[in-house]
Amino acid sequence: MNARTTGRVVLEVLGWWAGLTLLWQVLISTADTLEWVVGASAALVGALAARAARRAVGAR
Amino acid sequence: MNGWILTATVGLGAGVGATVWGVATGPLRRRVVAQNMSSAVACPGLLLLSQGFGRPAYLDLALLLALLGPAGTLVFARLLADDLAADPPHARAVTLAAAGYGAVVVLVLCAVTGPGRTMAKLLVIGALLIGGNLVASRALSGGFAASRRG
Repeated sequence: MNARTTGRVVLEVLGWWAGLTLLWQVLISTADTLEWVVGASAALVGALAARAARRAVGAR
Repeated sequence: MNGWILTATVGLGAGVGATVWGVATGPLRRRVVAQNMSSAVACPGLLLLSQGFGRPAYLDLALLLALLGPAGTLVFARLLADDLAADPPHARAVTLAAAGYGAVVVLVLCAVTGPGRTMAKLLVIGALLIGGNLVASRALSGGFAASRRG
């Protein structure tokens, strides 16, 4: 994996993470620091899963 | 009993009643369409009930239904792909009517709620509801068979 591919992977995961974190913040009722931490962590897991799913579909 | 709850009751009673009738009777192509429509009709009803009871937290039920309803239809579309390919359903008018009903309910609730987090949540639910049902409806009328052909 060269630097360019790594950059693209990081960019994609970052994009998914930002979108999912935003979605989490919209869907909860009270936004405090703990919710931000939990939401950002869950969104990171979701971002990795989303990239894996997209690759699985793209490789078909 | 207020106007929201009354509208929700009428929508749930007439709409879901009709879909239960459609699921229980008739050929397969009618049953799968009615199954798909049941979540498209029930979800706006839950949105209206949430507004009627004054409990924004109840929106989560509608969110869950908007997410899982089309997913369930996709499972049926996949499992019944061969039967549906022989006798594909055509339900463009019903699908568009249900999508329009969902859009009207979401827009009215957005107008009542005003800008804020709840409005963003309503818009997410509306997008999931309408987009999910259009995709599921397309899958029922031959999406899987077409993708298999390439």
